[in-house]
Formats: sequence, structure tokens, C-alpha cells
Amino acid sequence: MSKVYFSTWRGEMINNINVPQDEWKESAYNLPAQYDSARDAKAFIGWDGVALFKGDIDVVRLATEYAAQYQIYSEACGRCAPGRWGGRILYDLMDKIARGEGSVADMDHLKEVSRTMQTTSKCEIGKTVPTPLLDLMEHFEADFMDLIDNQKASPHYHLKEISYIAKITAPCTDACPAHVDIPGYIEGVRDLRFDDSLIATRQTMPLAHTCGRVCPHPCEDECRRTNLDEPISIMALKRLGADYETDHGFGFFHPIEKKASTGKKVAVIGSGPAGLTTAYYLALEGVHCDVYEELPVLGGEVAVGVPEYRMPIDKYNKDIEAVADLGVNFITNTKVTADMMRQFEKEYDAIMVATGTRISKAVRCQNERPEIEGYWGAIEMLDQINLWDKYGIGEPVDLTGKTVACVGGGFTSMDVVRCSIRAGAKRVIMLYRRDEKTIIRNTTYEEYHEAVEEGVEFIFHSAVDRIVDENDVLKSLIVDMYELVPDPEGGRPNLEKIEGASYELEVDYLIPAVSQSADLDLLPEEWALEQTSWATIKTNGKDYMTSRKGIFASGDCEYGPMTIVNAVGQAKRAASVMARYVQTGEVTLLDDEIMEDHLRKMKVYDKNEKVTGWLPGLPREQSEVLSADERKTNNREVNLGFTQEQAIAEADRCMRCYYIAMAAV
Amino acid sequence: MVNFTINGQSVSCEKGETILNVARKNAIYIPTMCYLQKTTPCASCRLCSVEAEGVEGFVLSCQAPAIEGLCVITESDSLHKERVNIMKMYDVNHPLECGVCDKSGACDLQNKTLEFNVGTQEFSAKDQHRKIEHWGRINYDPALCILCEKCTHVCNEVIGDDAIDLYFGGYGSKVIPKNSETLDCTFCGECISVCPVGALVSSDFQYTANAWELSKIPAACAHCSAACALEYEVKHESIDAIGQEKIYRVTNDFEVNTLCGAGRFAYDFENRIYGKDKEAFLGAIEAIKKGAIRFSSLITNEEAMILQRMKEKLGIKLFNQEALNFSKFMKAYGSTSGQSLYSATLEHIRSSDAIVIIGSRIATDNPAVRYAMTTAARHKGARITYMHPIEDALMQNTAKQYVKYEVGAEEGVMALLAKTLLEGKTLDSEISAFFAELDLGYLEAESNVGDEEMMQLKKNLTRTKKRTLILGADLIAHAKAENIARLAGLIEKHTEFKVMIVAPSTNTLGVSLICDLDEESEGYAVGYNARGEFVLSSFGEGDLDMPSLNQQEGTFTTIDKRVVPTNVALPYNGYVLNDLANALGIRAEYTIDYTSQLPYSVGFECNAFDTLNARYGNAIKDSRGYELKSIEVTCDGVLSSVDELPEFNGTVLYACNPVLQFTPNTQKAHQLEEEACLRGSEQFAIAAKLSDGDRVEFDFGTLRQKRIFKIDTALKGTIALNPAYDLGLAAMVSSYRYQSVKISKVGS
Repeated sequence: MSKVYFSTWRGEMINNINVPQDEWKESAYNLPAQYDSARDAKAFIGWDGVALFKGDIDVVRLATEYAAQYQIYSEACGRCAPGRWGGRILYDLMDKIARGEGSVADMDHLKEVSRTMQTTSKCEIGKTVPTPLLDLMEHFEADFMDLIDNQKASPHYHLKEISYIAKITAPCTDACPAHVDIPGYIEGVRDLRFDDSLIATRQTMPLAHTCGRVCPHPCEDECRRTNLDEPISIMALKRLGADYETDHGFGFFHPIEKKASTGKKVAVIGSGPAGLTTAYYLALEGVHCDVYEELPVLGGEVAVGVPEYRMPIDKYNKDIEAVADLGVNFITNTKVTADMMRQFEKEYDAIMVATGTRISKAVRCQNERPEIEGYWGAIEMLDQINLWDKYGIGEPVDLTGKTVACVGGGFTSMDVVRCSIRAGAKRVIMLYRRDEKTIIRNTTYEEYHEAVEEGVEFIFHSAVDRIVDENDVLKSLIVDMYELVPDPEGGRPNLEKIEGASYELEVDYLIPAVSQSADLDLLPEEWALEQTSWATIKTNGKDYMTSRKGIFASGDCEYGPMTIVNAVGQAKRAASVMARYVQTGEVTLLDDEIMEDHLRKMKVYDKNEKVTGWLPGLPREQSEVLSADERKTNNREVNLGFTQEQAIAEADRCMRCYYIAMAAV
Repeated sequence: MVNFTINGQSVSCEKGETILNVARKNAIYIPTMCYLQKTTPCASCRLCSVEAEGVEGFVLSCQAPAIEGLCVITESDSLHKERVNIMKMYDVNHPLECGVCDKSGACDLQNKTLEFNVGTQEFSAKDQHRKIEHWGRINYDPALCILCEKCTHVCNEVIGDDAIDLYFGGYGSKVIPKNSETLDCTFCGECISVCPVGALVSSDFQYTANAWELSKIPAACAHCSAACALEYEVKHESIDAIGQEKIYRVTNDFEVNTLCGAGRFAYDFENRIYGKDKEAFLGAIEAIKKGAIRFSSLITNEEAMILQRMKEKLGIKLFNQEALNFSKFMKAYGSTSGQSLYSATLEHIRSSDAIVIIGSRIATDNPAVRYAMTTAARHKGARITYMHPIEDALMQNTAKQYVKYEVGAEEGVMALLAKTLLEGKTLDSEISAFFAELDLGYLEAESNVGDEEMMQLKKNLTRTKKRTLILGADLIAHAKAENIARLAGLIEKHTEFKVMIVAPSTNTLGVSLICDLDEESEGYAVGYNARGEFVLSSFGEGDLDMPSLNQQEGTFTTIDKRVVPTNVALPYNGYVLNDLANALGIRAEYTIDYTSQLPYSVGFECNAFDTLNARYGNAIKDSRGYELKSIEVTCDGVLSSVDELPEFNGTVLYACNPVLQFTPNTQKAHQLEEEACLRGSEQFAIAAKLSDGDRVEFDFGTLRQKRIFKIDTALKGTIALNPAYDLGLAAMVSSYRYQSVKISKVGS
């Protein structure tokens, strides 16, 4: 909610012209009236309208600058006749009026060209750039006519003090924690330019193989195609570029050429997605990185947590190689201690803590004691399985004839139960407090159904009350059953225990996979780093510096257990901040990043928007998966990916919903 | 099937077909500026927007697949209005140089401007300076460019060079060389061909003729066995030489067919003579009577038929070692496959999702096959395994697996391949025994093809549905060619693979079917475009001149097993082979009288020349001429055991022309001037103790050759490429393509 002088944003019509400022109506949207801590915005203009925060804005100049941004930013576009020429005509005519040389006919031509752009352009930029311009021409016609009639320049035409800051976005890009240029990489697939596709991805996401497979794809929840039929299968299209690079044995397609060495160096603690991402983008900026890894293998939880059948290690290793290709130095088998951190602070120009969350949380039931044989933390179990399956380190896990119960509901618990099936368990049970719908929402539809097909028993609305042991050997669990009781007040229904429904479940293993917490022993006590209430490292979520200068944190140890793409997004931003920090000692955000945060707050996707100009009813492509019998006894990759024809058909469904947003500051 | 209507007309199509394609098939016009059937839609012009009932806004017909029950409208007032506006925008600042532009008269922008009646320019935009680029055989003028993207699409998706890119910059967008300062490509010129305006033009042709002055002669390309459809564009040579015709350029129907640079730029290989040399003619008759003719496969089917008739009538011998090798190869192949012809076509390759190619440097041997493979790689994601002793940088973005085998080991590699592909198939006991007895350890060690590579190859086939095995010229001239062919025949017969055998020369397949060839022997022979004691030559150095292939009408038998016609682009004033035949009592008025007499028993039809179609129709596939019938043959082939694999030690050269060069005909072309050099990698140079630019001498087979050695940084490994196209009558290599040689430096 923000007070506005005038707004047509998302179809609202707020006009406070000639209204005293204290009586101004508020906009229904989270518009960026305050640009950053130091500056107010004068106006915000974008694909869906325009909002003026001040009365003294020069609307003709604003319109001209917005049209000019289309010219500047058209590296993302310039791909269709109406957009390319129309966009230029729009700008030239606007500028002509703004500098005092316009005519009435120019106004008509502007409207004519706008209509053609709106109806025929290839992407949403071409279709939407005219929208706010037409709004301004309609509601501020007098301002335009004044310039035309008197052949004079617009009031701020020569004024240099106002910055016009623009940003390209898209609903999917906005929804992606790593802000991947999704329309760009899909365009690469559609044009069969897989190298371009990969480069588009790698601008903000180095783990293309990985996030082409195991990303929970929040972008697909905010895909505009949903308004027409079904969302694009965004995630699956990511792997085409990565596969092209790998399959043809090319060198690595990096998004920019690695810059010359700055002579600066950074220590990265942890080689999981956040650590790899930090190192990748810092290395591209010419900053040397030493990455310290506690385990004998690189990759963090994606390596030792995500099972082979979901994420083949040879593909993940390719992503890691891309990072190593930039000269990043990896040091394995090294658990960083507080003493080392003290030393690092002296030796390095900055430190990134990206140690994840590797402590399995307790189930919180009676008699829960780690020393009970058969009580086995999810992280420890997955470590053993993955180290053996992927690297031949340690020993295999054999659960032949055993009954395994897992308490969880998230991705980790799914990995536990499906790995248990593959390890030969006789019976595998997932105990989950809530219902089927919630488990699907917390994981994915595919993940849940594949587990069911493989024979995992899901017991919903259940919780372990007590562990029963005999001489510290697990025997059984006392399981309580719950039901949802509607709140008579109309609020959220409550989970209530069903008295008398508890029963005893005989198991050999109980694997808690409820959540994980961060091991922060490496942080020197005297640093007294601020922590969140859930015991992770605290940052402001924008620049990712901790309460101690030069010490940054990203990924799960900052956010709590979350997704790969979240870790990548945080680390990408942090790397950008760190690259400047090591040079200047200051913590700053780029305008692009400030705009990125504003847009996310506003949310680019509008689920109520009516999409026109596209044929509805084209179903989303489904990739082939191995049948349960083919997959449940081995580690073969379950999802076989799209065939090329499927991928092209799916890419063809993408509507290229690029938008330009601009703030006048 | 999907059923829907366009302008009220009921139409149907396969699932996934676009509205535009269905409209075109049903002869319903939708305007386009950027659409190219053989690539993915560029979707840049937006002219093909249509309306659909119940759908708000316009739908892009080139990209939208038809859906059941849709009612499409291709013409309406609002569509027309926007199409006119798009054309108005296209015309903004388009230079008014139609008077001199090469494209004038055949320009899509002109045509559509007229079609939409854009007579005035209402909008304007600031003009910008655009620098004209000179990229060797290609010039690019960004001011004329409408950014339709056809060129970049075709270069990447069909050719595979991926040498041009779009520089995105809105109004300042332009085509640029990809990752390079200047254009570095194979110069196929297909980008020129698809350019709808005069932005990409041939630097040689530019400003030499107007499109409407040129006569188009439909013909088949004479340079390789693809015999692609092309049109020679002909006009008088100058105003001082009325009647003296000249080929100005070659064009192709790019919507359906693709040309390489040899086809496009090497057209001026005609044999220019003035009048008939009666004395030489009589000499030729006497020479032929002496009992033998040696000839190359750069001849038409009809000429081959005449030679066969000479053999039948005069009892002379016919030597063509290259075609004889091929004929033996095909017979051996048929003896296990059960068919006289292989079954794959270029179209089959294009739609394959798995391809194995062995024994060819295909990008130079047969660009049409390479383009088909590129199409398969991009559009079908084909898993391509490229098996050859020399890696080819041109194939890197096409092939997903490179299997390097030792020179000479082809038979062993083929045995390993057949064993891998035939695993699990029900085979005769003899065949099973053959595979059981293979000494795998020896074969793998000597061929250097490991079990892991074969497992990978097999893995590449998972989930693939349409598979092609391509066999190259290296195999055909191999000492164990027939055993290799029998192994290939088994693969054709027992697996899902369709096989293609790449004939080494333009009409090798035709010659091998038409002529009853003899084993080479010493003694007197007339050479027809081949060495001999008396030489009939279209290359211009013989005892009696003969017409070149752009001066003849007749047919070729193509790699697609089609009999396709070619026509006379330039007149020829001298004697032709048919004249010699007539003088020898083999009577026919015209050479093309033999078209209907081609042997039915091997699959030809009795069609008269004039009934054969030389152009593509609206059908997407090659419908020129007719398709040869494959004849069922008895499977009586017996595999001989694979014993010792030959070893090639020391310095090894590979008979291989540079891209665009094939024969003395291409060598003659004024646009393809380049020096024929021995080209080797840096590694080769070190091993052979040579430096770039050294003059060297060596015996290649029986021929003493002197060449300049050049280091080619795109090459890897220790085998150098030795061209043959510049060797005149000795240019046709019929022996195994690899030779161990002793290289000595001269004159340093």
C-alpha cells in the first residue's frame, strides 16, 4: 500500500490531481514509493500501467524515457518487426514531442503504432511497452498538447538530476529465487541454440544440470501460461543447454569471460550449492576462491543427500567442473573450526559461510535417545547411502528384511523412504502429521506418487508418541493418530489426537527427517554473530552480510533448510555484493538488484490477468519416467527427460513474458 | 489426427502440425516474411497472425499447432490493418536502392509491399549509419536486413556451421559472425539463398545481373552423389556477345532443399570449345575399337548406358575401379540384407533420432548427408556416433560420441559394431558362430575401439525409435570391403537400423547398376575423364573434347536412389558420346533416348526423359524423377572370419578434399580458388618433422605428388589430409583412402 498522486497500475484508477496531499487515496499495490533508504521514487512505470508518487513529475519525459529503455534494453528483444521498428518509432515520436517539435499527427501515429505493437509483437515487452504510454497520453493529454501547441520542450527535458532506472523482468524470473532468465533459456531451446540457452541460465544459475532435475520450480507456480492452460515445464527445459555442452564435449559456456585477477581472495566454507555459486560468480569477477569442504567429496547435500536416481552424480559433477574451470580451488576433508575462521579473517578479504544444515532434528517423542540402535538420523543415513552409491566410499546400506519408519514430509524424508526401498527394506512407512495434499505441496506431485508406486506406505495424520526399545535396541513405535477438527470460529482446522486410536508399530529403524539445523560451531564465540530465532545466521536478506563485517552467509545455514535454487539465489546476490566489498570495503546493491527486490515485493505475476493472443488448450508435455518395477531396485535416473521434440513443443508454449519496469528517482 | 477449419474449409493434420503448414498444404494463403519450412519458426515478422474463433487476440500461425475443432480465419479487416502496419514498419528507412539491388524483382519485401499496397511512409524513425560487411564470398548490408532470422536459423539448424548470430540491439540489431571477427564457415551460401531481401548477397554475383534477366535452368548438381536440385541462372555473357551464354549464379528452392558451396559457387566448369574437331573424333572411334574404355563416374546414366552398349556391341572392356568397388560392395551387402539397394534416404536421416556413421569424413565427402545429420541432431536430438580415425571439428556440434579407430581397422570395427547391434537377435547358426568366434581382445586392441565405447554406443540407442547407419567411402575401397558390406547387410536385415551407403562420386550408383564393369588390366585404353592412351575429356585437356555436366541433359542416380534429370545450362558445340556411339553403329538420335532404356532388371523404370520432373513441387520431399526399385535378392552371403587387421605405421595420409572441393570440375570454378595443400595438425607436423609452408614430395599410391604442407589448427591427430581434386584425370581415387607414405622436403 502506498500513497500515490496518480496510478493506473493493474487497472486501478487513482487520480489525486488537484487533491491536497493528505487526502490522497492509496494504491492497492506495494509500489516502490521509497526507492532505497536514501531516496524516494517520483514515479514507477511498467507493463501494467504507471504510478506517480509526486505531482511534479514531467510525464512526457517519463514516457520518453520509458520508450528509450525499450531501445536500451532491447538486447533482450529486437526480435520481431513490430517490436523492433515500432519501439523505435515510439521513442522517436515521443522524443520529438518532448523536445518541442511534435505535431498532432504524431499523437495519432503513436496510438496507431502502439496498437500494432500491442496486438502483434512477439513478446510481452513489445506488447506492453505502449500500455503506460497510452495511459499517460490519455490522462495527461493536456500536457502533451501544450508542448505540441507551443512547440516547447517538456519541463524536465534537459534536467539531469532525475535518474530513470529500468529493469527487465518476467513473472517466472521474478518468482525464481535465483532470478534466472527463464524466457531466455527457453528461447534458446525453441531456436535450437542450446549454447545460448545455457549461457542465459548461467548468468544467475551455475548449476544447470542440477536445477534442470531437482528444482521444486517455484517459477512454475507463477508462470503466466497457467492463466491460459497449464504452466510451462520450465525446470525440465533447463537441462537441454547443459546436456548440449556435456554431450558434445564442448568447453564450458560461461556467461561472461572471466575477468582479470583482482588480487583479492575469499574463503568459502562449504561446497554445496551456495558455496559453489559464490565461488563461481566471484571467480568470474576475478576474485580467487578457496572452497573448504568437510566431506571427502564436493557438492554438499546435493552430492550426499539427493539420491542418484534423482540426481545422477556425473551430471552434478559437470556443474562442479564448470566452477572448477574458472580456477576455483577446492580443499576437501577439511572441517573448518573457529580457530581457522579467526585465521581466515586475517588471510582473506572476505568469508562466505555456506555450511548448510546438517544436523537431523529430533522427532520429539518419548524415549528418543540417539544411542538406541535403529534410531538413525536422515542425514547420516543418506550420507552413507550416497557416499557408497556415488563414490564407493564407506559401506553399502542393506535393509533387506527390515521395516523402516520415517517421520517427515519434506524432500529429505522422501529421499529416505525411496532409498530404503532401493536398499531392499521389507516394509517402508512414512509417518506424517498432516494430509496427502500438504505432503504434495511440500514436495512435488511426482515425488509423492513415485514413492507410492515404489511401495512406500504413507500414514497420514500420525505422529510417534514413544519409542519402545529393549536394551537400547529399537523394537517398536507407539503411534498416535490425529484428525482435523474444524475451527468453530472459522479459522484453520486443528489437528487433534484421536483418543484410543494409538497403536504399536513394530520397526527396525526410525529415521527422523523432520528438519535439520545448522551446525554453527565454526563461528568464533567472540564474534557473537547474530542469529535468527531458528538458530541460523542472520543477515538482512538483501546483501547477505552477517553482523560482522566481511563475513557473509548464504544457503541453508542462513535461511534454514530450503531449496537448492534458494541457496543459489542468495549466493549469487552475495557474490555480487562481495565482489564489490573486497574492492571497496563497502556493502552496496546495484540498481538492478534494488529493482529486483522491489519487483519481488510487488510480485510480477498476476494470476487474475486475462491472457490474449495465444491459443489455449495446448497441454504441458510430460517426460517419460521409468516404471516402478524398472526403478525400485536400482539407482537409474527415474525421470528420462524430454525427447527433443517434446522439448521444442514445450518451449513453443512459452509466451516470452518479458516486461520492463522503470522507476524515476 | 486433428480436425479443424480454416476459413470455413475443413482440414485435418497430424498432432503438432502448425496452422500455417496445414494452410499451405491446403493451398490457403497466409502471408509470411520470416517463415522457413525446414527450420523452427523464427516468429519475427508476425504477418502470419490469424484469428481463431473464441480466442481473443491474434494467434501466430507459424508457431501454433492446430487443435481439434478450432475455427481459423486468415483474412479479416483487423488482420489486414495490422499486416499493412507491419509492412509500413518494415519499409521505414529501408534504402530505396531497388534499382541496383540484386534482390529486386525477386524480393519478398518488394512483393509484400506491393501486396499490402504500402505506397507512402507515415511513420519515421531516425536513420542510422550501417556499415556493409565483406565476408569473402558473402557481403552483408545491415541497412537492407529485415532481421527475419532465416539465415541464422538455417546456418545452425540445417547446415551445422552455426557461424552467424544475431546481435540483439532493437533497432540496431544485425547479423554478425558468431564468436569471430569475420565470417568463418564452410561458405555453403545457404544464408544468401534464404535471405528474403538483398542483405546477404554473393559478392561475386553482386551487381552483375537483375533477377528477371536470368533464365533458370532446372538441373541436378554434378559434384557429389546427392545430386541436389538446383537452378543454373543464365544470361548472355555481355552486350558484345549476344548468344554467348554464361552462368551467372546457381540458386536453389531453399524451402525444401539445401545446397553446399560447391553446388552454389562451382558452376562454371563448362568445357568451352569452338567447333568440332573432326580429326580427333575419328581418332577416338579408332581408339575405342582397340578394346577398352576407362571412365569416371562423373557421367550421366545415359552416357553409362551408351558405354554399356559399346561394350555389348564391340566387346570392349569397361574400367571404372571406383564404381566396380561400389558394385561389389552393394552385391555383398545384398547377399546378407536380401535387397539390392540400401534402404535409408536423406529424409530418413533427417528424421532419425540415432545415427551411427563410419568410414567417412562426411562434411567434405557429402555435405547433403551432413546437413541431414545436422537437422536430425537439432530437431530430433539425434544421438550421433561418429566413427573415424580423424576427428572432424565441423561435426562436434552434431555428433555426441566420437569413436576413433585405427586406420585400416574398418573390418574389425564393423565386426564389433555388428556384434553390438545384433546382440539378442535371432541369427542363423553360422552367423552366430561367426560372432562367437571373434577374437574380441585382439580386435579391440588393434582397432583401438574399446568395449566401453560400444556400451556407450548401445546406451545412446535407448529410447530411440528411428535409426540410421551410414557407411562411407573408406569402407568401399577397403581390402575387406565385401566382408564389411556383409556385416552391414546383417544390421539392415536384423535390426531397426536403416543403412545408407555414401557413393564416392556423383553417379557411382548409376554406373554400378548400368555397366558391366571389368577388372582393371594393363594395356591400351581410352580414358573418358580418366587416364588413358586416348583421352575424351570434359576437363579440357584431352584428345577429344566432351561436354561437361552442365552442358548435358540426362539423369543421375542419387544417394536417395532416385533417378533425377539434369538439363543443359550452356550450349556445347562439339561432339558428344552419343555421336561416337552412332559412328560405331549404336544408333540413337539423342543421348536422352537412353533414359527409357535404363535396365529395368536392376530397378530403373522405362520413363522417357521428358516425363521426369526436375523441380520440387509443394511436397516437402524430393519428388524429382523417380525412385529406383530395390530388388529382392537371395541371402547367400557368407561372412569370412576376421583375421588380421592391417597396420599402418609411419606417416599416414588420407585422400580427402577440402570442403567444397570434389573434382576437377570444382577446381575449375573461379569462385573456389584455393591452393591444394597437404593439411595436417600441429601434432602431425611435429611427427613428420614439417613446418607450415614446407614444399614436400611423396608417392601416394602410384602417383608421385608435390605439394605445399600447411598446418591446420582445426585438425587433430597424426593423419594428414591429401586432396585429389586438383589431379585432373587422376582425381578419382579408387584405392583405399589411407596410405603410408615417405615424405621428403624439396627445395628448402
